[in-house]
Amino acid sequence: MNVYYFDELIVSEIKKKNEVALRELYKSHYPMIVNLIRSNNGTEEEAKDIYQEAVIAFYEKVQQPDFILTCKIKTYLYAVCRRLWLKQLAVKKRYHGNIQETETFLGIEEEMVTIEDNEQRFIRMRESLESLGEPCRGILEDFYMHDLSMEAIRDKFGYTNADNAKNQKYKCLQRLKKLFFATYKEDLP
Amino acid sequence: MNADQALYELLDDYFSGKLTAEDAEAVENKLKSDPDFNAKAKQHKAMRDAMKFYNSRVELKHMLDSAHLEVEETKPVVLQPAVVSGWKKYWPMTAVAASIAMVSILGTLWMTQSLETKQTAIYKELRRNVDQIKHSQKMLMKDIAQSMDKGKQPVPGKYAGSGFLISSNGYVATSYHVVKEADSVFIENEKFGRQKVTIVLRDPANDIAVLKLMNDSIAYTTRALPYAIAKDEANLGEHVFTLGFPREDIVFGEGSISASTGYSQNPNSYQVSVPVNPGNSGGPLFNESGDLVGIISGIQTETLGAAFAIKSTVIMDAISKASLDTLARPFVLPKYSTLKNSSRIQQVKRWKDYVFVVQVYKN
Repeated sequence: MNVYYFDELIVSEIKKKNEVALRELYKSHYPMIVNLIRSNNGTEEEAKDIYQEAVIAFYEKVQQPDFILTCKIKTYLYAVCRRLWLKQLAVKKRYHGNIQETETFLGIEEEMVTIEDNEQRFIRMRESLESLGEPCRGILEDFYMHDLSMEAIRDKFGYTNADNAKNQKYKCLQRLKKLFFATYKEDLP
Repeated sequence: MNADQALYELLDDYFSGKLTAEDAEAVENKLKSDPDFNAKAKQHKAMRDAMKFYNSRVELKHMLDSAHLEVEETKPVVLQPAVVSGWKKYWPMTAVAASIAMVSILGTLWMTQSLETKQTAIYKELRRNVDQIKHSQKMLMKDIAQSMDKGKQPVPGKYAGSGFLISSNGYVATSYHVVKEADSVFIENEKFGRQKVTIVLRDPANDIAVLKLMNDSIAYTTRALPYAIAKDEANLGEHVFTLGFPREDIVFGEGSISASTGYSQNPNSYQVSVPVNPGNSGGPLFNESGDLVGIISGIQTETLGAAFAIKSTVIMDAISKASLDTLARPFVLPKYSTLKNSSRIQQVKRWKDYVFVVQVYKN
């Protein structure tokens, strides 16, 4: 039996976007990370944020079609959390060098770049949407994220006809684009 | 609706796959041929992706938050309040450090103390050795005191040792420690009987004493001594003999020079393998040719067969420095041995006339 048997099981379930599997994964490794963060000048709240970021990164990684499990999920999560926390400590200038630097996690460096990029992208989008304000945010979210039809949006936001709604959506999109790309530089493929 | 808006409508439809196959192909063709359109399309796609990504993350976060609530609900261990600071944070470490420090300090103390006691043990041992030597040397004087206490009458000497004539006109050599506490000293042997003597030379450093016969008449009747005093140091392995009074009767002992230094490398004495006992102190040590080579002085306890004798050269030094002789009684040192070729029995027969038991009286 594969040593990663249970991990493989979890991964295959997460690939199918099984919420239960993700919940189980989340619950099973959380204490380890709480311990790591708390024993290195962190609070439980911070541990939660770091851990969620790591789990999300893992989840997104698993969603990639070419994903192969190369180490235990636990190891991966620990490594990512550790790196994320080190970075945060450096920012906060609270780091006293308590986290063991002797461990090396293969390929985690590239991993971290991706994770940070994604986090960056997420934060920029959130900030952009927040500064966009209503009703633009609602329209764009409904159209692009929740895949509502223009008719439904028209009804929801009380526009007299679909063209008005489309017009509004266009203007909102241009504003959002301006906001988003002003702060976030993405390498276009 | 302006052209740009229509373009984005088209792109949205294209990306979400709502276009017909023909229209989609048209768009793709335009993407290839029109770079400006292509750039806009790419940017729009990135925008759409970012938004989709944002959405999925938000949903994921919601899911994890709800999972986290479960964690909090089922959290088995009550964790201590987060971020303890200052003294509270460091006290366990401090306690550990303090206890380690305490252990090491106490350990060091204990270790050094044990070392010290070891050293004092050596020192004590050494002292005890010295004590024992002293003791043994005292013992060599033979504890007549005990028998005196028991017998009361007649009152014998407090200590006893041996002695021998060193000058034919009535000078007797013995060990200093035999007579050091003396109030009065008597010598006695078969030939001369019991004679009172006075101490004329005390040399504690070399453990030599010279006694002088009070009775002039006896002193003058003595013939020349049958032994000379060896002027050179005896050789290692040389056969040596002694006569002494470890008991009431004279006792002969023989052995050899086993070392040319004495106790703790004392260069003034020999180590000899002659069996000696308390009472032998001050006895003469002769070699085979009948010369005097030393005076028995002590033994080392805890070592088998190690007795010590003051070298004759040291005796000579001590005597010549002391200027003992007077006009009335010149100090006549024996010049040569007359018993060189005699048998041992003959030698001993002659020697024993000049060896005395030295009795020391002390209040």
